[in-house]
Amino acid sequence: MTNRCGSDAFGRPFWRAALRRLLCLALTVLLAAFLAAALVRVAPGFGMDERQLDPRLSDSSIRAIEAENARNGNLVRYFAEYFSGLARGELGQSVSFGEPVRDLIAERLGLTLRSVAAGVAWAWLTAAVVALALGLVKRRGWDMAATALSGGLLCLPAAVIALLALYLGVGPGVAIGAILLPRILRYIHNITGAAAARPHVLAARARGIEGPALMLRHVWLPASAELLALAGVSVNMALGAAIPVEALCDSPGVGQLVWKAALARDLPVVVNVTILIAALTASANLASDALSGSLGREA
Amino acid sequence: MRRAAIGLLGVILIVLLCADWIAPFGYQQQFREEVGAAPCRQHRLGTDALGRDRLSRLIYGGRISMVLAPLAALVAVALALAAGLTAGYLGGWWERIVTTAMDLCLSLPWLFLLLAVRAMLPLNVDPTASIVVTFALLGLLGWAGPSRVILAAVKRHLASDFVLAARSAGCPPWRIALVQILPNLKPVAAAQFWVTAPAFLLSEANLGLLGLGVAEPAPSWGNLLREMENLSQVPSHPWVAAPLAALVMVVSCFQLAISTGEIEA
Repeated sequence: MTNRCGSDAFGRPFWRAALRRLLCLALTVLLAAFLAAALVRVAPGFGMDERQLDPRLSDSSIRAIEAENARNGNLVRYFAEYFSGLARGELGQSVSFGEPVRDLIAERLGLTLRSVAAGVAWAWLTAAVVALALGLVKRRGWDMAATALSGGLLCLPAAVIALLALYLGVGPGVAIGAILLPRILRYIHNITGAAAARPHVLAARARGIEGPALMLRHVWLPASAELLALAGVSVNMALGAAIPVEALCDSPGVGQLVWKAALARDLPVVVNVTILIAALTASANLASDALSGSLGREA
Repeated sequence: MRRAAIGLLGVILIVLLCADWIAPFGYQQQFREEVGAAPCRQHRLGTDALGRDRLSRLIYGGRISMVLAPLAALVAVALALAAGLTAGYLGGWWERIVTTAMDLCLSLPWLFLLLAVRAMLPLNVDPTASIVVTFALLGLLGWAGPSRVILAAVKRHLASDFVLAARSAGCPPWRIALVQILPNLKPVAAAQFWVTAPAFLLSEANLGLLGLGVAEPAPSWGNLLREMENLSQVPSHPWVAAPLAALVMVVSCFQLAISTGEIEA
């Protein structure tokens, strides 16, 4: 993204480009939060409270509940209160779990991040080894076998892969990795395939450079910018895969939390997890964009 | 290979559309004395836990999944065409709004987005409404990916010589958009359809397995997969995996159609 003078391709200082990207990230997250909160308001059943039907409550209690619901009905006011709460680290109360959303997310986020990191690492390692082996061996049969394997895995719903992982007794990280593997392998194979057809690779071959040295230095290194961009996208894919995996493998992470919240229409949890996931994916994309931009410029 | 895949898809679609004549029983018909039966002459794939014929439910479920997933893909591609064409052609603020909406949709994982929006809609609905809600969601939320590709194609066409020639000949803007650019987007839109339709089939299967898809007693390949939740019974009762086999076959056909279709596009 930057040259040696600390400015980007358009001559803007690096910090301006970085600030612009951070602003975009913040805007995306804010917009996601606003839309989620707005959708909650148009959702059927909003403003209805089961407590109002409780015959044990007095008139004043019911009026207090109605007033609380009416206050939540005003989107601008709700949003202002939500953000003032957010500044104090409060994310509201879960309807179905009866616990603060902050505590629910805090106790589950670590597990999900570990599963996602393990899945991304596992998928990348396997895909890189397979793609490297395919690039070195260059046998049509191997290529077809890898294509058939990745194509076969792509035809399976993520939830079925999660069930298979549960049946085989492997962890959620491996299941997330198995969901990501065919997608990553296909992209890596395409990216390195295109890089291997470039003239500098032919020139390196003419100089007698072959084998892993050719693949790593002349094919993979120039393609590292695209591979890093793919790494950012794979975090997004892994977070999506975490939902069926955690739900079906009974792994108590954020994916399972959002699934249970969806089944119970626990909207405070859904809204806050939406913001969290948007922030996580936007940060991963931002980091990979910045890294791949700087690597691309150097290449 | 592509023709064979499309041909097979066509045959499957025709078979599923004729479900009323082909299926041995109705999808709701119960055989209470044959609950959880193994395959026999009367029930080729056995019966489920409620005594319903599995083959009939597979055929009727296939009709719902195979007709509505491509239909939802058509809706998504049509929305993407409208958004991409207008954003690319009009530019300015409208393009910014459309690209921001695209970024927003794409910044969230697809399954999470589906789950979050599905959570905001009523869950306790009748089966027909659940079918409409599930596939309408897929169609309305799946526009972002295709529209990014279409927007790029519109920009490419706008810089081409034939659009310049049309402009210099005094062609009005709406005519350039609808007569010059739109027909040239057909291959891109077709490729996006072939990519989106199997993705929607798999998404419906995921939602069905998570209990957020088509509601019982209406069958779909997604909710039929719920029988596989107890995966340990599959080796001894392999017929339970019939919906998965059908889904894999159909998605494979789409994949084969895409691999050549993308190159042609």
